[in-house]
Amino acid sequence: MRPPPFEDMLVSLDASARIPAGMVSETREVMALGRRFAREVVRPRALELDARLHEDPDHLDWEFVKTANEWGLYSMWLPKFFGGGGYNFMSMAPFIEEVSSQCLAMANLIGVHYLGVGTLSASWNAQIMRRVFSEVAQGEKTGEPCLISLAITEPSAGTDAEEVDLMDRGEMSCRITRCDGGYKVNGTKIFISNGHLSTWHMTMGFEDLSRPSETAIMLAVKTGTPGFSFGRIERKMGQKACPASVLVFDDCFVPDELVALDHRQFSGLSRSHRQTTMQVIDYVVSTSRAGVGAFGAGAARGAYEEALAFASETEVDGTLLVNHEWAQCLLAEMYKNVSLARLTYMETNYANALYGFFRLMGSAPFFYSMKYAPRPLLDRLSGLFGSGWATRMFRQTHLENQLESEAHRTSGWASLCKFTATDLAVKNGHLALELMGQAGLRHDRRVEKHLRDAKLLQIYEGTNQLNRLNLFKCMAGADCGQAEPFCDCPAA
Amino acid sequence: MLTIGDKGKKLLADAATDFANKALLPDREENDKFPFGPFFDQALETALELGFLHLALPESMEGMGPGITDLCVVCDRLCQVDASMAGILFTNSFAQRLLLAAGEAKTLEEAAGQDSARKVLLAAPVFNNPGEIRHLARAEKDNKNRWRLTGGVPYVVLGGVAARAVLPAAVEGSKGFGWYVVNANSPQIVKSATVFSLGLHACPAVDMTIDGTPATPLAGPEDGADLFRQVADAMQLVAGAMAVGLMKGSFREALDYSKKRRQGGKRIVEWSELTRILAEMSIHARMAEAALDRACQAADHGEHSWEHLAAAVSLTACSLACEATTDGIQVLGGVGYMKEYGQEKRFRDAKQIQALLGLAPMRRIKYLRRMLR
Repeated sequence: MRPPPFEDMLVSLDASARIPAGMVSETREVMALGRRFAREVVRPRALELDARLHEDPDHLDWEFVKTANEWGLYSMWLPKFFGGGGYNFMSMAPFIEEVSSQCLAMANLIGVHYLGVGTLSASWNAQIMRRVFSEVAQGEKTGEPCLISLAITEPSAGTDAEEVDLMDRGEMSCRITRCDGGYKVNGTKIFISNGHLSTWHMTMGFEDLSRPSETAIMLAVKTGTPGFSFGRIERKMGQKACPASVLVFDDCFVPDELVALDHRQFSGLSRSHRQTTMQVIDYVVSTSRAGVGAFGAGAARGAYEEALAFASETEVDGTLLVNHEWAQCLLAEMYKNVSLARLTYMETNYANALYGFFRLMGSAPFFYSMKYAPRPLLDRLSGLFGSGWATRMFRQTHLENQLESEAHRTSGWASLCKFTATDLAVKNGHLALELMGQAGLRHDRRVEKHLRDAKLLQIYEGTNQLNRLNLFKCMAGADCGQAEPFCDCPAA
Repeated sequence: MLTIGDKGKKLLADAATDFANKALLPDREENDKFPFGPFFDQALETALELGFLHLALPESMEGMGPGITDLCVVCDRLCQVDASMAGILFTNSFAQRLLLAAGEAKTLEEAAGQDSARKVLLAAPVFNNPGEIRHLARAEKDNKNRWRLTGGVPYVVLGGVAARAVLPAAVEGSKGFGWYVVNANSPQIVKSATVFSLGLHACPAVDMTIDGTPATPLAGPEDGADLFRQVADAMQLVAGAMAVGLMKGSFREALDYSKKRRQGGKRIVEWSELTRILAEMSIHARMAEAALDRACQAADHGEHSWEHLAAAVSLTACSLACEATTDGIQVLGGVGYMKEYGQEKRFRDAKQIQALLGLAPMRRIKYLRRMLR
C-alpha cells in the first residue's frame, strides 16, 4: 500500500503559498460582518422564531429573509460580473459558522441559497448564471429577495440521488421529457430546503428512469412557472425556520434557455454523460458539504458557548461548575470539537481552491482583477461573461481540466468534513446538555435547540453513512484495487 | 423489562402496552404539541383507573408495595410508545416515595384517595438534585409556628397540573435543606407559563414563585439530602427503565422501516453498515434490559450494595438510549427527523430522561465516591 500523497495529506500547507494574501483580510472582514449579523439580527430572534414555528409550522419567515437581503447576504458571494458582491467563496464558511453558532435555521436560510448558487455554478452554464444571479442582485436593490433552492431529493430516493452508482439501482422518479423548444418535467421533490422561499429551483431529473445517471438533466425552474407548485412544508424536529418543502412538477414546461445541463451540452466534453454527472455532483457537494461542516462547527460552538456561560454562573456542590476539574475537561473537549470541525471545513475549502470550485476564482490574477476592477468595467464585461464563450471557458477550466484525482480529493475531503463536523456538532449538543442538566432542557437556555437543529446535519447533503462511503471511494480505499464502493456483499 | 415466569408482572406489562397503544399512540404527535395544544387529561384519567398513579404506594393505599420493579415494567412499556406519560408516573412516584420515606402517610393517603388524576398527582422538581444545585425556596416559621415557603423553585414538573407539590427549601443560613408539601394551587404561588422544553412535552413543568405559602415539612429541615438519596437510589432504576423502553421502541421502528425502505436497489436492512447499526441498537437494548432486570431484583430484595448496581445500570441505560435514539433517527434518514414518526420524539425524550435526578456527570462521580466510602 502506498503512503497517502502529499497533496491529500497537507492541503492547507500546499495552499498557503498559492492563495492570494488579499483573501485573508477579506475573510477577516466577512467574519466580522458575520459576528455583527449574528449579534444584532440572529440571536435576538432565534428563540422566538423557533417557538413560533413550533406553534405554527407553516409560518414562512419572510421578515428574516428580507433582513438578510437588506444586508446584501444573498449576492455577497456572487461574482461581481454577475452583479454580486464578489467576495471570495472561502470566506463564506467562517461567516456561516458565526451565524450557526446562534441559530442553524437562520444560517440555513442564507447558506442553502448558496447550495442553489453552487449547483447552477457547477453546470458552468454562464448564460443561465448571468440571468439568475442578476435577478438575485436585482432583488437586493428592489427589496424583493430572490433565493435559489436545489431540488434533488425524491420520495423514493434520498441517498441514491447523490451518487451515480446508487442512482442507477435506485428508484428515481422525476421524469424529464423532450418537447418542442425545451423539456417537460413530471414528478415530486421532497425535503427541499428553502423551497417555499425560493424564486428559482435548480432541478435534477432524468430522461430515462431506467438509466438515470446517463440521462440526468439540470434545469432552472422559476416559481410561478405553469405546472410547478408547492406542496406541504414538513414538520421537523429542528431547523424549523428553514422550511423543508415538497415541490410538485406536473407537465411543467422548461424552455431550452433554462436548461443548465443536458446531453446536448455534454457532447462537447471528453467525459461520458455518466462521468460528467458524477463530476457535477462532486462539484456541488465538495462545496456544500464544506458549508454543512461550517454549520456543524457553528452548532458545536453555540452549544459550547452556552455550556461555558452556564458553568461560569452556576454553583454545584458549593463550587462554581467551571472550577470542577471534570467540567473543565468536558469544556475543553467541546472546544476541541469546535476546532476540529473548523479545521475540516477549512481544509476542504483549501482543496476546493486548489483543485475544485474555487480554482479559477481563487487564483491571484483573477481574484485581484475582480476585487479591484471598477464596477462599470465589470458591468461592461457582464455581457461577455454571460456568453457561450464564457460557458466554454468555464467548462474547459473546471470540467475538462480537472483530473479524476483532483475531483476525488475535493469530494473526499468534503465528505470527511461533513460527517466529522456534524457528528461533533451533535456530540457537543449532547455534552452541553449533560453539563447543564435541568437548565439545558429549557428552550430559553438555547442548548436544546442546538442539539435538535444539529441532528439534521447528520442527514442532509448525504447521510453521514453515505459520506463515509464516499470518503472510502475517493481517498481511504482509492488505492485498494479489490475494493468496490457502493456494492456491499450480499446478505448471507 | 423481563417478565418471564412472573404472571403478575406479565399482566401488568400487557396492561401498560395495551394502554400505550390505545390511549397514547393515536394522539402521540398531537399530545406532544403541548403547551401549544391540549393536555391529555383523558389518557391521564385512564392511567388513574388502571392504577398506574398508585404503583409506588403501599398495598394499603391500593399500590403495589415497596418494590420498584412494577413501576419499571410499566414505564418501560409506556416509553416504547410515548415517554411523556412515564415522565408523569416518574414524577408522581418520586414525590410519593419522598412522602413515604418521611413517614408522611396522612398527606399521601389524602392525595391517593382523590377521584381525579389532577387531584391525585404530586409535582416535584425531579430534574435537579437540590443538594447539588441549590434551587431552593426559603423555609421559615410564622408567628403561629407554621412552616411557610418563600422564593423561587424552577422547573417543577407537573407544577401546572398537580394539586400538590413537593418542594425543596432551606432555612436561612442552613447548608442543608428539607422537603415540604404545598398546595400547588395556593394563591401565594405564582406559576410561570409552561416551560418549553426539549422533550416530554406532555409531562410539563413550570417555574414557581412563592410568597409565604403554608407548607408541611417532610422529616426535618436538614433531612432533604438523605431523603433525596434514599428515593433517588430506587427511582434511578425507573429512569433506566424509561431509557430501555425508548431504546426498544426506537429499534423496533427502525427495523420496521428498514425492511420497507429501498435504497440502491435493495431494502436498506440488507446494506451491511445499516445492519450493523441496527444490530448495535438491539444489542444495547437487550443488554440494558437484562442489566436493569437484575438491578431491579437486587433492589427489591435489598441485596448488599444494590444502590451501586442501580446507579451503574441507570447511568449506562440512559447514555445508551441517547446513542440508540440518535441512530434511530439516522436509520430512517429524513423522515426520522419529521414529526410523523416516533423517532425524533424518542431522541428528545431520551436526552430529557438522562437529566432526571441531577447532572449525569455528577451522578457518575458520586457513584464512585459512595463506593469508596
